[in-house]
Amino acid sequence: MSADTSDLSLVRRVQRGDRGAFDALVLKYQHKVVKLVMRYVRNPAEAEDVAQETFIKAYRALPQFRGDSAFYTWLYRIAINTAKNAVVSRDRSPVDYDLDVQNPDESYDMQSRLKDSETPEGLVLTDEIRATVNAAIDALPEDLRTAIVLRELEGLSYEEIAAAMGCPVGTVRSRIFRAREAIDRRLREVFEGGLGRAEEIG
Amino acid sequence: MSNEELDSQLSAMFDDELPAPQCELLARRLARDDALKARWGRYAAMGAAIRAERSLSLDSGLARRVSTAIAAEPVLVAVPAPDARSPHARATAARWWQPLLGGALAAGVAAAAILWLHAAAPVVPAVAQLAATVPDAVTTQSVASDAADSDSYVVPPAVESASFAPPTELADFVVAHSEFSTPLLRRSALSALVAAEAATSTPTPPPQSAPHGQRQDESKAVHAAGAP
Repeated sequence: MSADTSDLSLVRRVQRGDRGAFDALVLKYQHKVVKLVMRYVRNPAEAEDVAQETFIKAYRALPQFRGDSAFYTWLYRIAINTAKNAVVSRDRSPVDYDLDVQNPDESYDMQSRLKDSETPEGLVLTDEIRATVNAAIDALPEDLRTAIVLRELEGLSYEEIAAAMGCPVGTVRSRIFRAREAIDRRLREVFEGGLGRAEEIG
Repeated sequence: MSNEELDSQLSAMFDDELPAPQCELLARRLARDDALKARWGRYAAMGAAIRAERSLSLDSGLARRVSTAIAAEPVLVAVPAPDARSPHARATAARWWQPLLGGALAAGVAAAAILWLHAAAPVVPAVAQLAATVPDAVTTQSVASDAADSDSYVVPPAVESASFAPPTELADFVVAHSEFSTPLLRRSALSALVAAEAATSTPTPPPQSAPHGQRQDESKAVHAAGAP
Protein backbone atom coordinates (compact mmCIF):
# COMPACT_ATOMS: atom_id res chain seq x y z
CA MET A 1 0.00 0.00 0.00
CA SER A 2 1.47 3.31 -1.01
CA ALA A 3 1.54 6.29 1.29
CA ASP A 4 -0.75 9.21 0.50
CA THR A 5 -3.41 6.88 -0.89
CA SER A 6 -6.23 8.43 1.08
CA ASP A 7 -5.14 11.96 0.21
CA LEU A 8 -4.97 11.07 -3.47
CA SER A 9 -8.43 9.55 -3.34
CA LEU A 10 -9.76 12.79 -1.92
CA VAL A 11 -7.72 14.94 -4.31
CA ARG A 12 -9.06 13.06 -7.34
CA ARG A 13 -12.58 13.63 -6.13
CA VAL A 14 -11.93 17.35 -5.73
CA GLN A 15 -10.46 17.44 -9.22
CA ARG A 16 -13.67 15.92 -10.50
CA GLY A 17 -15.63 18.74 -8.90
CA ASP A 18 -16.45 17.29 -5.45
CA ARG A 19 -15.93 20.16 -3.03
CA GLY A 20 -16.90 18.02 -0.05
CA ALA A 21 -13.73 15.99 -0.49
CA PHE A 22 -11.71 19.16 -0.09
CA ASP A 23 -13.36 19.74 3.29
CA ALA A 24 -11.88 16.46 4.44
CA LEU A 25 -8.42 17.54 3.34
CA VAL A 26 -8.78 20.83 5.21
CA LEU A 27 -9.95 19.07 8.36
CA LYS A 28 -7.03 16.69 8.20
CA TYR A 29 -4.30 19.24 7.61
CA GLN A 30 -5.49 22.48 9.20
CA HIS A 31 -3.62 21.90 12.45
CA LYS A 32 -0.40 21.01 10.71
CA VAL A 33 -0.62 23.96 8.34
CA VAL A 34 -1.28 26.39 11.19
CA LYS A 35 1.62 24.91 13.13
CA LEU A 36 3.83 25.33 10.07
CA VAL A 37 2.91 28.96 9.33
CA MET A 38 3.30 29.86 13.00
CA ARG A 39 7.03 29.70 12.32
CA TYR A 40 6.65 32.73 10.05
CA VAL A 41 3.84 34.87 11.44
CA ARG A 42 3.34 36.51 14.79
CA ASN A 43 0.22 35.11 16.32
CA PRO A 44 -2.39 32.35 16.00
CA ALA A 45 -4.99 34.64 14.42
CA GLU A 46 -2.60 35.67 11.68
CA ALA A 47 -1.60 32.05 11.27
CA GLU A 48 -5.23 31.09 10.77
CA ASP A 49 -5.63 33.76 8.10
CA VAL A 50 -2.55 32.50 6.31
CA ALA A 51 -3.77 28.93 6.64
CA GLN A 52 -7.14 29.91 5.19
CA GLU A 53 -5.45 31.62 2.27
CA THR A 54 -3.23 28.57 1.83
CA PHE A 55 -6.18 26.24 1.50
CA ILE A 56 -7.99 28.52 -0.92
CA LYS A 57 -4.87 28.79 -3.07
CA ALA A 58 -4.44 25.04 -2.92
CA TYR A 59 -8.04 24.52 -4.01
CA ARG A 60 -7.55 26.82 -6.99
CA ALA A 61 -4.31 25.09 -7.93
CA LEU A 62 -5.58 21.55 -7.49
CA PRO A 63 -6.42 21.05 -11.19
CA GLN A 64 -2.69 21.28 -11.86
CA PHE A 65 -1.73 18.87 -9.07
CA ARG A 66 -0.57 15.65 -10.74
CA GLY A 67 0.47 13.65 -7.72
CA ASP A 68 4.19 13.74 -8.50
CA SER A 69 4.74 14.55 -4.85
CA ALA A 70 2.66 13.80 -1.81
CA PHE A 71 -0.32 16.10 -1.36
CA TYR A 72 0.86 17.36 2.02
CA THR A 73 4.30 18.17 0.61
CA TRP A 74 2.65 20.21 -2.13
CA LEU A 75 0.33 21.84 0.39
CA TYR A 76 3.18 22.72 2.72
CA ARG A 77 5.04 24.45 -0.10
CA ILE A 78 1.99 26.62 -0.74
CA ALA A 79 1.70 27.33 2.98
CA ILE A 80 5.33 28.41 3.28
CA ASN A 81 5.10 30.70 0.25
CA THR A 82 1.85 32.21 1.51
CA ALA A 83 3.33 32.78 4.95
CA LYS A 84 6.42 34.44 3.50
CA ASN A 85 4.28 36.71 1.35
CA ALA A 86 2.16 37.58 4.38
CA VAL A 87 5.26 38.55 6.33
CA VAL A 88 6.44 40.80 3.49
CA SER A 89 3.02 42.43 3.15
CA ARG A 90 2.72 42.93 6.89
CA ASP A 91 6.15 44.52 7.13
CA ARG A 92 5.21 46.98 4.37
CA SER A 93 1.87 48.08 5.80
CA PRO A 94 1.25 49.71 9.18
CA VAL A 95 -0.84 47.85 11.73
CA ASP A 96 -4.35 49.25 11.92
CA TYR A 97 -6.85 47.87 14.40
CA ASP A 98 -9.52 50.48 13.68
CA LEU A 99 -12.90 49.24 12.64
CA ASP A 100 -13.61 49.49 8.95
CA VAL A 101 -16.73 51.63 8.70
CA GLN A 102 -17.14 50.72 5.05
CA ASN A 103 -17.21 47.02 5.80
CA PRO A 104 -18.21 46.51 9.42
CA ASP A 105 -19.06 42.83 9.03
CA GLU A 106 -15.59 41.92 7.88
CA SER A 107 -14.04 43.98 10.66
CA TYR A 108 -16.25 42.29 13.20
CA ASP A 109 -15.25 38.92 11.86
CA MET A 110 -11.59 39.83 12.20
CA GLN A 111 -12.11 41.11 15.75
CA SER A 112 -13.95 37.96 16.75
CA ARG A 113 -11.20 35.81 15.34
CA LEU A 114 -8.60 37.81 17.20
CA LYS A 115 -10.60 37.21 20.35
CA ASP A 116 -10.98 33.49 19.67
CA SER A 117 -7.37 32.70 19.07
CA GLU A 118 -5.22 35.42 20.56
CA THR A 119 -6.81 35.89 23.90
CA PRO A 120 -6.08 33.71 26.92
CA GLU A 121 -9.57 32.19 26.55
CA GLY A 122 -8.52 30.64 23.25
CA LEU A 123 -5.37 29.25 24.75
CA VAL A 124 -7.24 27.91 27.75
CA LEU A 125 -9.60 26.11 25.42
CA THR A 126 -6.69 24.57 23.58
CA ASP A 127 -5.11 23.57 26.86
CA GLU A 128 -8.36 22.03 28.01
CA ILE A 129 -8.63 19.96 24.87
CA ARG A 130 -5.09 18.78 25.28
CA ALA A 131 -5.69 17.94 28.91
CA THR A 132 -8.80 15.99 28.00
CA VAL A 133 -6.98 14.04 25.32
CA ASN A 134 -4.09 13.31 27.64
CA ALA A 135 -6.45 12.17 30.38
CA ALA A 136 -8.24 9.92 27.91
CA ILE A 137 -4.94 8.43 26.79
CA ASP A 138 -3.89 7.80 30.37
CA ALA A 139 -7.12 5.91 30.94
CA LEU A 140 -6.55 3.64 27.94
CA PRO A 141 -5.38 0.07 28.30
CA GLU A 142 -1.67 -0.27 27.77
CA ASP A 143 -1.85 -1.84 24.32
CA LEU A 144 -4.21 0.83 22.99
CA ARG A 145 -2.16 3.64 24.49
CA THR A 146 1.07 2.32 23.04
CA ALA A 147 -0.48 1.92 19.61
CA ILE A 148 -1.98 5.41 19.41
CA VAL A 149 1.13 7.10 20.81
CA LEU A 150 3.43 5.29 18.40
CA ARG A 151 1.16 6.34 15.56
CA GLU A 152 0.43 9.96 16.45
CA LEU A 153 3.53 10.96 18.34
CA GLU A 154 6.19 8.87 16.60
CA GLY A 155 4.52 8.74 13.20
CA LEU A 156 5.13 5.01 12.73
CA SER A 157 3.25 3.02 10.11
CA TYR A 158 0.96 0.17 11.10
CA GLU A 159 3.57 -2.30 9.95
CA GLU A 160 6.26 -0.67 12.08
CA ILE A 161 3.95 -0.59 15.08
CA ALA A 162 3.09 -4.25 14.52
CA ALA A 163 6.77 -5.10 14.51
CA ALA A 164 7.36 -3.04 17.65
CA MET A 165 4.41 -4.55 19.50
CA GLY A 166 4.79 -8.07 18.16
CA CYS A 167 1.26 -8.36 16.79
CA PRO A 168 -0.44 -8.51 13.40
CA VAL A 169 -1.11 -5.35 11.42
CA GLY A 170 -4.85 -5.94 11.68
CA THR A 171 -4.58 -5.87 15.46
CA VAL A 172 -2.72 -2.56 15.30
CA ARG A 173 -5.44 -1.10 13.11
CA SER A 174 -8.09 -2.25 15.59
CA ARG A 175 -6.19 -0.93 18.60
CA ILE A 176 -5.67 2.48 17.08
CA PHE A 177 -9.31 2.70 16.11
CA ARG A 178 -10.47 1.74 19.60
CA ALA A 179 -8.11 4.22 21.16
CA ARG A 180 -9.47 6.97 18.96
CA GLU A 181 -13.03 6.04 19.78
CA ALA A 182 -12.29 6.23 23.50
CA ILE A 183 -10.61 9.62 23.20
CA ASP A 184 -13.42 10.90 20.99
CA ARG A 185 -16.02 9.88 23.57
CA ARG A 186 -14.23 11.86 26.27
CA LEU A 187 -13.91 14.87 24.06
CA ARG A 188 -17.58 14.86 23.18
CA GLU A 189 -18.54 14.45 26.85
CA VAL A 190 -16.41 17.39 27.93
CA PHE A 191 -17.49 19.75 25.24
CA GLU A 192 -21.02 18.41 24.84
CA GLY A 193 -20.60 18.10 21.14
CA GLY A 194 -19.27 21.65 20.87
CA LEU A 195 -16.08 20.55 19.22
CA GLY A 196 -17.90 18.31 16.79
CA ARG A 197 -20.42 21.04 15.95
CA ALA A 198 -17.74 23.67 15.58
CA GLU A 199 -15.87 21.60 13.02
CA GLU A 200 -18.92 20.35 11.23
CA ILE A 201 -19.12 21.54 7.69
CA GLY A 202 -22.10 21.64 5.51
CA MET B 1 -21.33 -2.15 6.52
CA SER B 2 -21.75 -1.48 10.25
CA ASN B 3 -20.95 1.90 11.72
CA GLU B 4 -18.08 0.40 13.68
CA GLU B 5 -16.60 -1.11 10.58
CA LEU B 6 -17.08 2.19 8.77
CA ASP B 7 -15.37 4.13 11.57
CA SER B 8 -12.60 1.57 11.68
CA GLN B 9 -12.02 2.10 7.99
CA LEU B 10 -12.11 5.85 8.51
CA SER B 11 -9.41 5.58 11.16
CA ALA B 12 -7.26 3.47 8.84
CA MET B 13 -7.84 5.87 5.96
CA PHE B 14 -6.81 8.78 8.14
CA ASP B 15 -3.49 6.98 8.68
CA ASP B 16 -3.07 6.14 4.98
CA GLU B 17 -3.40 2.48 5.86
CA LEU B 18 -6.55 1.61 3.95
CA PRO B 19 -6.22 -0.24 0.63
CA ALA B 20 -6.78 1.99 -2.39
CA PRO B 21 -10.09 0.48 -3.59
CA GLN B 22 -11.67 0.90 -0.14
CA CYS B 23 -10.15 4.35 0.04
CA GLU B 24 -11.92 5.36 -3.15
CA LEU B 25 -15.28 4.23 -1.82
CA LEU B 26 -14.80 5.81 1.58
CA ALA B 27 -13.56 9.09 0.09
CA ARG B 28 -16.79 9.29 -1.84
CA ARG B 29 -18.82 8.75 1.32
CA LEU B 30 -16.66 11.06 3.40
CA ALA B 31 -17.18 13.91 0.97
CA ARG B 32 -20.96 13.65 1.44
CA ASP B 33 -21.40 12.60 5.07
CA ASP B 34 -21.08 15.50 7.48
CA ALA B 35 -21.06 13.29 10.59
CA LEU B 36 -18.23 11.26 9.13
CA LYS B 37 -16.43 14.47 8.24
CA ALA B 38 -16.79 15.74 11.81
CA ARG B 39 -15.33 12.52 13.16
CA TRP B 40 -12.47 12.79 10.66
CA GLY B 41 -11.85 16.34 11.89
CA ARG B 42 -11.76 15.17 15.50
CA TYR B 43 -9.21 12.50 14.62
CA ALA B 44 -7.03 15.30 13.32
CA ALA B 45 -7.66 17.41 16.40
CA MET B 46 -6.75 14.67 18.83
CA GLY B 47 -3.59 13.97 16.90
CA ALA B 48 -2.64 17.63 17.22
CA ALA B 49 -3.40 17.51 20.93
CA ILE B 50 -1.28 14.39 21.43
CA ARG B 51 1.58 16.16 19.66
CA ALA B 52 1.03 19.17 21.96
CA GLU B 53 0.30 21.47 19.03
CA ARG B 54 -1.32 24.41 20.76
CA SER B 55 -1.13 26.78 17.83
CA LEU B 56 -4.69 26.28 16.62
CA SER B 57 -7.75 26.78 18.70
CA LEU B 58 -9.73 23.66 17.94
CA ASP B 59 -13.04 25.44 17.53
CA SER B 60 -11.59 28.22 15.43
CA GLY B 61 -13.87 27.38 12.53
CA LEU B 62 -11.03 27.55 10.05
CA ALA B 63 -12.32 24.58 8.09
CA ARG B 64 -15.78 26.11 7.97
CA ARG B 65 -14.46 29.43 6.67
CA VAL B 66 -12.43 27.67 3.99
CA SER B 67 -15.48 25.65 2.99
CA THR B 68 -17.56 28.83 2.71
CA ALA B 69 -14.85 30.50 0.65
CA ILE B 70 -14.46 27.67 -1.84
CA ALA B 71 -18.22 27.38 -2.19
CA ALA B 72 -17.99 30.70 -4.03
CA GLU B 73 -15.27 29.32 -6.29
CA PRO B 74 -16.09 27.77 -9.65
CA VAL B 75 -16.30 23.99 -9.70
CA LEU B 76 -12.94 22.51 -10.51
CA VAL B 77 -12.32 20.70 -13.73
CA ALA B 78 -9.02 18.90 -13.88
CA VAL B 79 -6.96 20.06 -16.83
CA PRO B 80 -4.59 17.66 -18.58
CA ALA B 81 -1.03 18.33 -17.61
CA PRO B 82 1.03 19.91 -20.40
CA ASP B 83 3.45 17.01 -20.34
CA ALA B 84 0.97 14.22 -19.72
CA ARG B 85 1.76 12.45 -23.00
CA SER B 86 3.15 8.98 -23.15
CA PRO B 87 6.93 8.59 -22.80
CA HIS B 88 7.11 7.52 -26.46
CA ALA B 89 5.30 10.66 -27.61
CA ARG B 90 7.56 12.83 -25.48
CA ALA B 91 10.64 11.13 -26.91
CA THR B 92 9.38 11.58 -30.47
CA ALA B 93 8.61 15.23 -29.88
CA ALA B 94 12.01 15.76 -28.36
CA ARG B 95 13.78 14.06 -31.28
CA TRP B 96 12.71 16.24 -34.22
CA TRP B 97 14.43 19.39 -33.09
CA GLN B 98 17.70 17.72 -32.14
CA PRO B 99 19.19 17.93 -35.69
CA LEU B 100 18.17 21.58 -35.88
CA LEU B 101 19.85 22.22 -32.59
CA GLY B 102 23.00 20.48 -33.81
CA GLY B 103 23.03 22.56 -36.99
CA ALA B 104 22.50 25.77 -35.09
CA LEU B 105 25.32 24.89 -32.74
CA ALA B 106 27.68 24.10 -35.62
CA ALA B 107 26.82 27.36 -37.37
CA GLY B 108 27.38 29.28 -34.18
CA VAL B 109 30.76 27.68 -33.61
CA ALA B 110 31.78 28.42 -37.20
CA ALA B 111 30.71 32.05 -36.93
CA ALA B 112 32.55 32.42 -33.65
CA ALA B 113 35.68 30.88 -35.16
CA ILE B 114 35.59 33.29 -38.14
CA LEU B 115 35.13 36.28 -35.87
CA TRP B 116 37.91 35.07 -33.64
CA LEU B 117 40.28 34.62 -36.56
CA HIS B 118 39.54 38.12 -37.77
CA ALA B 119 40.07 39.58 -34.35
CA ALA B 120 43.05 37.51 -33.28
CA ALA B 121 45.19 37.88 -36.41
CA PRO B 122 45.75 41.59 -37.00
CA VAL B 123 49.26 40.86 -38.25
CA VAL B 124 48.10 38.90 -41.24
CA PRO B 125 46.57 41.82 -43.13
CA ALA B 126 49.58 43.94 -42.36
CA VAL B 127 51.92 41.29 -43.66
CA ALA B 128 49.67 40.70 -46.62
CA GLN B 129 49.62 44.40 -47.36
CA LEU B 130 53.33 44.54 -47.01
CA ALA B 131 53.74 41.51 -49.17
CA ALA B 132 51.37 43.03 -51.65
CA THR B 133 53.46 46.08 -52.00
CA VAL B 134 56.96 44.93 -51.34
CA PRO B 135 57.20 42.24 -53.96
CA ASP B 136 56.01 44.77 -56.44
CA ALA B 137 59.41 46.25 -56.06
CA VAL B 138 60.90 42.91 -56.74
CA THR B 139 58.80 42.45 -59.77
CA THR B 140 59.69 45.84 -61.04
CA GLN B 141 63.24 44.78 -60.88
CA SER B 142 63.19 41.17 -61.89
CA VAL B 143 59.84 39.58 -62.66
CA ALA B 144 58.83 42.14 -65.21
CA SER B 145 61.85 41.32 -67.22
CA ASP B 146 61.08 37.68 -66.91
CA ALA B 147 57.46 37.98 -67.97
CA ALA B 148 58.13 36.79 -71.43
CA ASP B 149 59.26 33.32 -70.36
CA SER B 150 56.81 32.92 -67.45
CA ASP B 151 53.20 32.69 -68.43
CA SER B 152 52.01 31.20 -65.17
CA TYR B 153 52.25 34.40 -63.19
CA VAL B 154 50.63 37.73 -63.63
CA VAL B 155 53.14 40.45 -63.91
CA PRO B 156 52.16 43.25 -61.57
CA PRO B 157 52.38 46.79 -62.74
CA ALA B 158 55.43 48.70 -61.77
CA VAL B 159 55.07 51.01 -58.85
CA GLU B 160 57.09 53.87 -57.63
CA SER B 161 59.76 53.06 -55.08
CA ALA B 162 58.47 55.95 -52.99
CA SER B 163 55.51 53.78 -51.95
CA PHE B 164 57.79 51.23 -50.30
CA ALA B 165 58.17 51.16 -46.61
CA PRO B 166 61.47 52.62 -45.59
CA PRO B 167 64.09 49.92 -45.19
CA THR B 168 64.60 50.60 -41.50
CA GLU B 169 60.94 50.36 -40.68
CA LEU B 170 60.61 47.34 -42.86
CA ALA B 171 63.47 45.65 -41.06
CA ASP B 172 61.89 46.47 -37.70
CA PHE B 173 58.60 45.08 -38.90
CA VAL B 174 60.17 41.87 -40.08
CA VAL B 175 61.99 41.40 -36.80
CA ALA B 176 58.96 42.23 -34.72
CA HIS B 177 56.60 40.00 -36.63
CA SER B 178 58.84 37.16 -37.62
CA GLU B 179 57.45 35.19 -34.75
CA PHE B 180 53.94 35.40 -36.10
CA SER B 181 54.45 35.29 -39.83
CA THR B 182 54.73 32.17 -41.92
CA PRO B 183 58.15 31.21 -43.29
CA LEU B 184 57.00 32.02 -46.80
CA LEU B 185 55.82 35.51 -45.90
CA ARG B 186 58.93 36.09 -43.80
CA ARG B 187 61.11 35.17 -46.68
CA SER B 188 59.09 37.36 -49.00
CA ALA B 189 59.43 40.31 -46.64
CA LEU B 190 63.14 39.75 -46.24
CA SER B 191 63.51 39.62 -49.98
CA ALA B 192 61.58 42.85 -50.24
CA LEU B 193 63.88 44.36 -47.68
CA VAL B 194 66.92 43.36 -49.66
CA ALA B 195 65.34 44.60 -52.84
CA ALA B 196 64.37 47.87 -51.24
CA GLU B 197 67.92 48.43 -50.06
CA ALA B 198 69.16 47.58 -53.51
CA ALA B 199 66.67 49.99 -55.02
CA THR B 200 67.81 52.80 -52.81
CA SER B 201 71.42 52.14 -53.68
CA THR B 202 70.92 51.42 -57.40
CA PRO B 203 67.85 53.19 -58.77
CA THR B 204 67.94 51.30 -62.07
CA PRO B 205 69.02 47.73 -61.52
CA PRO B 206 69.85 45.51 -64.42
CA PRO B 207 66.78 43.58 -65.59
CA GLN B 208 68.41 40.12 -65.42
CA SER B 209 69.97 40.48 -61.95
CA ALA B 210 67.89 37.98 -59.95
CA PRO B 211 68.30 34.24 -60.39
CA HIS B 212 65.43 32.52 -62.02
CA GLY B 213 64.56 30.17 -59.12
CA GLN B 214 64.47 32.99 -56.64
CA ARG B 215 62.23 35.07 -58.84
CA GLN B 216 59.85 32.16 -59.13
CA ASP B 217 59.66 31.77 -55.33
CA GLU B 218 59.04 35.42 -54.79
CA SER B 219 56.35 35.46 -57.40
CA LYS B 220 54.72 32.54 -55.75
CA ALA B 221 54.77 34.45 -52.46
CA VAL B 222 53.13 37.38 -54.15
CA HIS B 223 50.52 35.13 -55.59
CA ALA B 224 49.98 33.46 -52.23
CA ALA B 225 49.54 36.80 -50.49
CA GLY B 226 46.81 37.71 -52.91
CA ALA B 227 48.54 40.48 -54.74
CA PRO B 228 47.31 41.19 -58.26
